[in-house]
Amino acid sequence: MSSGIQRRGRGGLGRTLRGADVSLLVAYAAAFAALHHVARLWGGSGYFSLWYPAAGLRFAVLWRRGVRMTPGLMMAEVLTDMATGLVPWHGPEALHDIAGACRSSLVSGAVLGALQALGARHPESALSSPMRFGLAAILAPTLNALMVVPFDWLFPRPLVPSQSVPALMISLSSFVTGDVLGILMVAPALLWLTDLADAPRPMRLPPARDVAEAAGVLALGAAVTSGLAHAGLGVQAAPHLLAGAWVGLRFGRVGAWFAILVQALMLLPWSAMSLDYPHRLELHLGIASVVVVTWIAGTFTDAQTAARADLDRRNRMLFQAERLKTLRAMSVAVIHEISQPLATLAIEASHLNASCAGLDPDLAESAKLVDRKARHLSEMVRRLRRFGGRDVDKPSPLPLETVVRTARQIVGPELLRSGSRIEMAPIPADCIVQAQEIELTQALVNLLRNAITASTRADPPATAIGLTVQSDALSAAIEVSNAPISHAAAHDVSNGMGIGLAIARTIIEAHGGALTRHDGPDRVRFVVELPLVPMAIA
Amino acid sequence: MTDIPTDVAVLDDDADFAASVARMLGRRGFRAQGHVLPATLLAALSAGNIACVVTDIQMGDADGFAVARHVRRLAPATALVFMTAWPTTSHAVDAVRRHGGLDYLEKPVDEGRLAEAVRAGIDWSREAHRIAAATASLTPREREVFDLLVRGHSNKEVAARLAISARTVEDHRAAIMTKTRTNGLAELIALSRDGV
Repeated sequence: MSSGIQRRGRGGLGRTLRGADVSLLVAYAAAFAALHHVARLWGGSGYFSLWYPAAGLRFAVLWRRGVRMTPGLMMAEVLTDMATGLVPWHGPEALHDIAGACRSSLVSGAVLGALQALGARHPESALSSPMRFGLAAILAPTLNALMVVPFDWLFPRPLVPSQSVPALMISLSSFVTGDVLGILMVAPALLWLTDLADAPRPMRLPPARDVAEAAGVLALGAAVTSGLAHAGLGVQAAPHLLAGAWVGLRFGRVGAWFAILVQALMLLPWSAMSLDYPHRLELHLGIASVVVVTWIAGTFTDAQTAARADLDRRNRMLFQAERLKTLRAMSVAVIHEISQPLATLAIEASHLNASCAGLDPDLAESAKLVDRKARHLSEMVRRLRRFGGRDVDKPSPLPLETVVRTARQIVGPELLRSGSRIEMAPIPADCIVQAQEIELTQALVNLLRNAITASTRADPPATAIGLTVQSDALSAAIEVSNAPISHAAAHDVSNGMGIGLAIARTIIEAHGGALTRHDGPDRVRFVVELPLVPMAIA
Repeated sequence: MTDIPTDVAVLDDDADFAASVARMLGRRGFRAQGHVLPATLLAALSAGNIACVVTDIQMGDADGFAVARHVRRLAPATALVFMTAWPTTSHAVDAVRRHGGLDYLEKPVDEGRLAEAVRAGIDWSREAHRIAAATASLTPREREVFDLLVRGHSNKEVAARLAISARTVEDHRAAIMTKTRTNGLAELIALSRDGV
């Protein structure tokens, strides 16, 4: 049922009727006449009916087939009313009655069209599905009732004196009650059935525990209402309202609709008894409240469920994107690391290949193979560098916490291997910089990598690497500190330390920052200063 | 002409790579020497036989562009070729426009392109030395006349600016042509634009 309601009616008033619509209108006319007749059971003095299921039928057709059906519905209803004698073919009241018969479809179509247009313009508002259905179900009857007086003024009844204001108010409130009840009880079921007909799928019964809970709550509401009635306090709808809200909040629109059906079946027979008008109107206003609250509760729950599912989906996408970004940052780092030794290897392989040209064929073949592979690898590195390069990494407001976390993940394996650990203080949440994420992460990775290497070669050995982020109003400072390298190891450049520092400096300066070294007596400290993005912009 | 530099210096903080590139250039007929530290390169430059410097841009604590500035100051007629393992568009532009680099090569380097750049660098250095030598023999007054002529001033305008006679300007102009082995104002202007 819910998916049927979510599928919004298509097409505008400007579109013409299609061939298939004509047969639908014929069936609609017959069903409308039948439901109109049924509604008489809940009629009374001064009003037509306090439960008008034909309004639900009209609403369902407009919702599913679009507001372009409005003229067809108007015509079908007028002809039906004429055929059944409700509207005269001619005479002084014909124009008034025909206009009145057209009014409901016209107003309903206008309300649905307006909500559809507004929902399209503000997709994130309450006008989006599923709340739009609930709003339309309440607004259409209300506006329809409000248009009665203007229509009577435009198309007056010459033979009938005007109603008194109290009588008019009673008539209009009954009108709204009847249409709201009719729409909320009939339209969801019809939409669900047509949806099922369009795309048949196996029925999924709700868990017995849920059914038992809903039945228990509704039975409790009915029992309290019955008890109050037997105590002489009248038929009170409030217990049903609470029960309906419970069911709607717990089980969504499907549960809400069944609750509405059950409650209507329990409450409407009371109104079919001989009640005086004020009591009947009071009862039906109560029923309308029950139906509206139950439906809104169900809609709210479904909207919340949909929002949660959407959030989960976005979280999964975000996680995936984060992983990809980390992967790309790692690939850039790897490309850089291997390009330097590969550059040497490629030159030497080429030389080896040329030198072995006249030597042993097997040796020459090996040299040729090594040269070819080195050239292939060189080309691959250049290509990968372009792929993972900065062209795809646009500067954007970036929390430093993200940069630190990603860099920490990248150097994780090296930390494990070296037995080092990073000691971090909590990072202020308002530290946002305008940066290319991959590059800035790479700069921090380089600093951490140097710190890890230095820690393993410190004398005495030290494993703690400090990482702090501090900020003021304008800038943030990331400090990476480690124990100083031993004197003996300071002259060993075999591990390539230093390259990363130059790259880090280049990247940081490109971001408008600075990389400085502030050594203490027992610590080497590198401080990255970066300008912050003002919070109003971030 | 025997004192015109022809050697190539390769600077990279990766000693293996610097040596490898130097050897590769040696095999292609260049006399090349690898350097790991900027200081040794600048010392070799002062000795006066380096025509072209091939340098990495990011080297540990050293910056290839800073080295380039030193090279320009010490030996303006030395050609520069840059290499990097971390190519960026801004670096490429700076390498050519601000530091007068003849090429900007991405590591792993294309051997053929590097050799071509070095060859072009040596040619450029030779020409730069020739121009420098030619204009170096001008007297201070001839140099003043030369500077004004190549900016498009006529003999009369030069005479008025330097408060000398037009005839004297013509004499200086003839001397400049002889010393710089040029034939006409167009060649003089070309000389001034190619000069360092």
